[in-house]
Amino acid sequence: MKAAKIRFEHVRKEFAVRPGAGNSTDSLVALDGVTLDVRPGEFLTLVGPSGCGKSTLLDLLGGLAAPTEGRVLLDGRPVAGPARDRGIVFQQYALFPWRTAAQNIAFGLEIAGVAAKERRERAAYYLDLVGLAGFADRYPHELSGGMKQRVAIARSLAYEPEVLLMDEPFAALDAQTRETLQVELLRLWRRTAKTIVFITHGIDEAIVLGQRVVVMTSRPGRIKHILEIPDMLHSEVEDVRSLPLFGAVRHEVWTLLREEVVKAQQSQARDGGVAPAAATKRSVRELAHV
Amino acid sequence: MSSVESSLDVFRARRGTSAFGAEHRYARPRWLLVFGPRLIRFSRRSALVIALLALWEVAPRIGWADPAFLPPFSEVLNAGFELAVNGQLYEHVGASLFRAFGGFVIAVIFIVPLGLAIGWYRRLGDTLNQLIEVLRNTAPLALLPVFILLLGIGEVSKISMVAYSCAWPLLLNTIAAVRQVDPLLIKSARTMGATPLQLFVKVFLPASLPTIFVGVRLASAAAMLVLVASEMVGAKAGLGYLIIYGQYSFLIPQMYFGILAITTIGLTANGALEGLERRFTRWKPTSSA
Repeated sequence: MKAAKIRFEHVRKEFAVRPGAGNSTDSLVALDGVTLDVRPGEFLTLVGPSGCGKSTLLDLLGGLAAPTEGRVLLDGRPVAGPARDRGIVFQQYALFPWRTAAQNIAFGLEIAGVAAKERRERAAYYLDLVGLAGFADRYPHELSGGMKQRVAIARSLAYEPEVLLMDEPFAALDAQTRETLQVELLRLWRRTAKTIVFITHGIDEAIVLGQRVVVMTSRPGRIKHILEIPDMLHSEVEDVRSLPLFGAVRHEVWTLLREEVVKAQQSQARDGGVAPAAATKRSVRELAHV
Repeated sequence: MSSVESSLDVFRARRGTSAFGAEHRYARPRWLLVFGPRLIRFSRRSALVIALLALWEVAPRIGWADPAFLPPFSEVLNAGFELAVNGQLYEHVGASLFRAFGGFVIAVIFIVPLGLAIGWYRRLGDTLNQLIEVLRNTAPLALLPVFILLLGIGEVSKISMVAYSCAWPLLLNTIAAVRQVDPLLIKSARTMGATPLQLFVKVFLPASLPTIFVGVRLASAAAMLVLVASEMVGAKAGLGYLIIYGQYSFLIPQMYFGILAITTIGLTANGALEGLERRFTRWKPTSSA
């Protein structure tokens, strides 16, 4: 077996919480005992109920936060901070509104001190790669949600990180756009051979994209189960969602997740007094809708 | 005139026979198609101002107001014309603009960087916060005698007074601008490996610009306000002086013209700053879109 590209070793992350605000303790455990290897070039998806620490996991990997215990290793070296060997794509795009699409894509290259001429060429190349060749001079507010996310992806690819971290990047998009972008992301992944860690709350999305799907527990976030997705679901058949195998895998993930959603709702109801039954039903439906 | 009337006829005709509207549309003169909508928009926006000026003209003439205290608008303009011919207008406007612009520019040059620093270094902000609160709640005009006592009645005290009163809106808006930068954009830039300096120059500065501009425009209004007041106290030139001198010497039309000149300068400054703001923040979605 090849060495892991990314390795989480017994990672635990606590946050200080304002005491007295409905919390009995003054620290909140977001992640606990997370041990996980991501293979080079792998497309890994992570699903879990909301508040399970998915985004915390990504922050640790991105170097935006440090684990309370344990280590996060990239190529065998501990992650010490943010760097351009990892690109992050956020749900809310995080494009700079005062920069055009091309200038946004060139941002990371500017930071890296790449010469202006090469910046322009690379920006044009990656714009073309995400299918936005004619939109170089548009400002973000002139682009649709799907286009903004394409620009954001292009921006993360432009400085050529080896790992792409994606935090529910398609959650804010409509269903059609989301499916289109899923297909394109797979195409980009095959072409560029990046290692991708993709966080989602959609079961379908996790299965369609991931070679492996990591299911997380509700708070504190632990790894509940890791499913290998059969290669057949990633062959270039049309509409993999219609295959019986897809339905079977989907049901497996759904069952794993439902337990966690119920647990999360119960603990929330204990703390906050939300009507548990209705809330559970709602979030089970939210999970299933994608 | 006649062409306007005839086009009005076309309008009436259209309205009266809406069923045949399509035919009449071709009868409308071409210039009206181009300028008509603009003319209508202009008159709708300016209607109240024009009505106010008309009232100003008419009221003293028909005895609603005492012409000695409120001369008709045309007489005020006439007085302004005389001031322009004998060169006094140039002197007063020049003196006022020099003080207002001088104080404003000094404030922008020193206060915007200070505000950026306070917003950026939280500790500096904590240290200065109380002092800022105390000073900004002291109305600048209340300090006018202090400025005169310390700096005399010359240009220095007036320009400092303007700079001082410009400083507060600039400072507060600049600090707020820096602190309101979207944390996600900061996070995003950090993940791309931006150093603190790069973060400041490439994220904080451009993101703060619109809010800083709000401060700049408030400052320009503050500059005019304080300028006029300080020119009314111990000055030998300037529009504030013209106004107060006009009142004392019973040159009432001149006094009103001085007031109008202040308004005009204020409007022009605001328009110029808006234009500048649009140039710098072209990336922003327009409010009409």
